[in-house]
Amino acid sequence: MKFRSRLQRAPEVPTSSMADIAFLLIIFFMLTAVFTSNRGLQFAFPKEDPTRLDVQPEEAVHIKITGEQQYLVDKTPMSLGSLAGYVEAKMGQNPNKPVIIQTQGHVPYRVMIEVFDVLRQLEVKNISVPTESEVERWKTFGVFE
Amino acid sequence: MKLRREKSAALVPRIPTASMADIAFLLIIFFMLTTSFSPERTSVSLPESEIRTEVSKDAAIVAISSQGEISFTDGDQPAFPLVNIAELGQYVKTLVAAIPRKEFLIKADRDVRYELVDGVLEQLRTNGARRIGLLTERKPKESG
Repeated sequence: MKFRSRLQRAPEVPTSSMADIAFLLIIFFMLTAVFTSNRGLQFAFPKEDPTRLDVQPEEAVHIKITGEQQYLVDKTPMSLGSLAGYVEAKMGQNPNKPVIIQTQGHVPYRVMIEVFDVLRQLEVKNISVPTESEVERWKTFGVFE
Repeated sequence: MKLRREKSAALVPRIPTASMADIAFLLIIFFMLTTSFSPERTSVSLPESEIRTEVSKDAAIVAISSQGEISFTDGDQPAFPLVNIAELGQYVKTLVAAIPRKEFLIKADRDVRYELVDGVLEQLRTNGARRIGLLTERKPKESG
């Protein structure tokens, strides 16, 4: 009488399902991974005293964005390319010259970012983005019309 | 003379799958390390810029979706929608009172009307936010 078969199988850990579990987890992490953007354009830090105007508007370059590809630079219509040239020339004279970006309400946000980006590439130190109510306040000083 | 060995027929053909799990776990570790659970998960297509500086990770985020809905997170709590823009001012004020150098990020869709962004900026500025950033995406280099 035989109790044991003489032919013994090699002992083995079943690992084939391990890959299935692992791939399931991969799919979970791939789907939940949000590729967050943590980079962007920063405003220059304003002065400590918020009541003071950190820009003297009368000597600044004034860019008014009235629409897509429509820029009024110191009241002269320009393309984005000539805007860059104009600002660069001004920066050559005075590197600390402030630049004001005023954007009309109906203009898409990306147009404003485009101009902001161009100014940053020209290494303009003093970029000011006044809000609508700040512009209103400046108007009373006769800065804008 | 035997040309074939009888024993070779007994070998079962199999695909080695043991290393598959190793590869898979390596990928898992990669995804686990790169996944950052951001409290702000509004999907927006950000505007593109060439200049992009690193912003702080625990910044408060004001998101504006392409539909013009505004949501807010202080960087820890999950984002919640805002009913009106004036509500934002209150949150900003309390945050700035606690952490004066708190950074605020505007995560706005590239096609929103600028007046929405202007309204948010207005609330941030009047309530004492000093560090403000605009989130952007990398602009693909133009050829020629």
